[in-house]
Amino acid sequence: MKKLALKDLKLFFADKRAMMLTFLVPIALITLFAFAFGGVGHKKGESKPTTLVVADDDNTAASKNLMKQLDSTKEFEVKQKTSAEAENLVKKGDEAAVLILHKGLSDSLNAGNRPPIELKYDAAEEAEVGILKGALIGNLIRIVGGKSMAKSTLAKFDSENPDIDPSTRNKIHAQITNNFSSVETNKQSESFLKATPLVAEEENSPGLIHAVAGTAIMMLLFSVVAVGASLLDEKQEGTLKKLLYSPIHPRNILFGKMLSANIISILQLVIMFIFARLAFGLDIFSHLPSLLLMIIATAFACSSFGVLLASFAKSRQQVQAMSTLIILVMSCIGGSMIPTFIMPVFMQKISVFTVNYWGIQGFYDIFWRMLPLTDTVLLSRILVLLLIGTAMNLVALKMFNKNILKIA
Amino acid sequence: MISVSNLKKNYGNIQALKGISFDIKQGEFFGLLGPNGAGKTTTISIMSTILEPDGGEVNIADFNLKDDPIQCKKIIGVVPQEIALYNELSAYDNLMFWGGLYNIPQSELKVRIDETLQLFGLFDRKNDKVKTYSGGMKRRINIASALLHKPKILFMDEPTVGIDPQSRNLIFEVVEKLHREGMTIVYTTHYMEEAERFCDRIGIIDNGQIIAQGTFEELKSSNMMKETIVVSFVKLTDELYDKVAVSWKDLRRDENAINFYSSNVKNDLAKIIIKCSETGLDILRIDIQKINLETIFLNLTGKQLRD
Repeated sequence: MKKLALKDLKLFFADKRAMMLTFLVPIALITLFAFAFGGVGHKKGESKPTTLVVADDDNTAASKNLMKQLDSTKEFEVKQKTSAEAENLVKKGDEAAVLILHKGLSDSLNAGNRPPIELKYDAAEEAEVGILKGALIGNLIRIVGGKSMAKSTLAKFDSENPDIDPSTRNKIHAQITNNFSSVETNKQSESFLKATPLVAEEENSPGLIHAVAGTAIMMLLFSVVAVGASLLDEKQEGTLKKLLYSPIHPRNILFGKMLSANIISILQLVIMFIFARLAFGLDIFSHLPSLLLMIIATAFACSSFGVLLASFAKSRQQVQAMSTLIILVMSCIGGSMIPTFIMPVFMQKISVFTVNYWGIQGFYDIFWRMLPLTDTVLLSRILVLLLIGTAMNLVALKMFNKNILKIA
Repeated sequence: MISVSNLKKNYGNIQALKGISFDIKQGEFFGLLGPNGAGKTTTISIMSTILEPDGGEVNIADFNLKDDPIQCKKIIGVVPQEIALYNELSAYDNLMFWGGLYNIPQSELKVRIDETLQLFGLFDRKNDKVKTYSGGMKRRINIASALLHKPKILFMDEPTVGIDPQSRNLIFEVVEKLHREGMTIVYTTHYMEEAERFCDRIGIIDNGQIIAQGTFEELKSSNMMKETIVVSFVKLTDELYDKVAVSWKDLRRDENAINFYSSNVKNDLAKIIIKCSETGLDILRIDIQKINLETIFLNLTGKQLRD
């Protein structure tokens, strides 16, 4: 028994692939998830300020002062835009929310009325907007809320007590102002900031879109890897060699594989979206041309990934080991498993290097942001996917000539 | 039809082919013989365009292999050593696929597939998946897939390895038919009887060099090979053996038998029998060991062909 166990251990430690799957893959995934969800990477008590896009329609000293004070907080870093620009950023999915300081802000503050401040947001980014809103209300009340309420109370006091002597009035004014200077968020705070969704109120819920797009892309990556790996099966079973005997150009063998991977990918995505329509009522027919183009671009990028992976490997087993790790990592970073906005900023920056990110964002553009096919944002995402696919195909072709053909 | 000149191929520091040359005429059945690692498959791989040589030239029909590989591929058919088929597809679908690579019109291809399946005795099972076939049946389909475009030259690399006698005989019949019809065939095999039976000419390859080539008769005579007449006796004493040895120089004793080496068995057999009778030896039996490729190879290299 001892000898058998020793033999198995020797075999296990001699198998580098098994070692990698047993130790390195879980370590890599734990690290990745810790960065994504656990807040690892930030020192305690230290956080980077969130960029807050503000549109100053009031354009007064008061509104400028408000922006300056928001910028000086540890939570926010203010970036000024025009209203139109700011709203566009939300509509295109570049910002989850923007703050609009409407005309009349200064007058309202002076009159002690509720200041016309509005948060315009993308309802798809509900969680992120919720956090932002909480931080914003606290700061706004601290900056302008107490002052505004104090003014309102003083005005009311003066109107009700017109005959009070000036020295007493001054003392009472000072007391009221002092009291309101430490006003904290109260029950009325929610109504202090008007919040308006810019995108959505449509049939398709962002959760559903994320579930369908994220899962579809992740599963697609797994299935195209299998198609790509069939190239290695061909090599192993001798059919690749036999194909090379025939009068077709060797690179056409790879192109044929790419084509079949593309067709399978398109079919898989189409079926998944039809299922989402039938089972969950996802409105796919209102955006058919955009959806089809997006499906083709996503399928192209994903299938290229499968072929690329196969062209690097020397056996199907190697492809399987590599693909498990790479796809899980890509899906985690790229937003297939959880929305990217939940992740730390540096991971959000990395996410743009994944097929998942561009695919998911593209489907959001179609189903949530309702961008038309002619919109540059949607077109740019499609273009990025096509470029990713082309780049991967070119590398795959080079590797195919180097690895697969020479060994055949 | 095929001209190979000073062909060289290295794998790292190993010289797989050290400048081999040979010519194959149209309609000729050429056998390439040699032990494992001699360079047979490397030669076939270069001739069938999937391996680039490090030196030398190959011309197939009117085309230079390096300059016009696609044209060369159109006129050759290759039966690889391994069975290279799609197991999940039927025999018919496999043939449709492999034949389709040569741009044969669909209707013509269908006719050719039916004819080929008939020829190989697999027409009735054409719609069965290849994975349900026996090894011999798969090998037949493997060969059939290389014939659909009616190649002028057929490369067959060990086409009968590990198959049942029925399939082997069927393959032999097909190969002979193709040869009769004028196809040029290049055949590598370990089985000497196959080479002796089919080949018009033979090239013997060892350590990356062609060490002899020609017809079987030419190989025999050029190496001054002798046949062996083995005469077994009831009892062979030293005294009687010495008496025989005086009059016959090229012989060897093997217990109660004597091996007489002869370059003309027809003439020498009678002489040996008479001499033995005159000496007083009682002959038990006589065997004649003819020259074969195995003995020629042994004579040329000092090692067995299947080493």
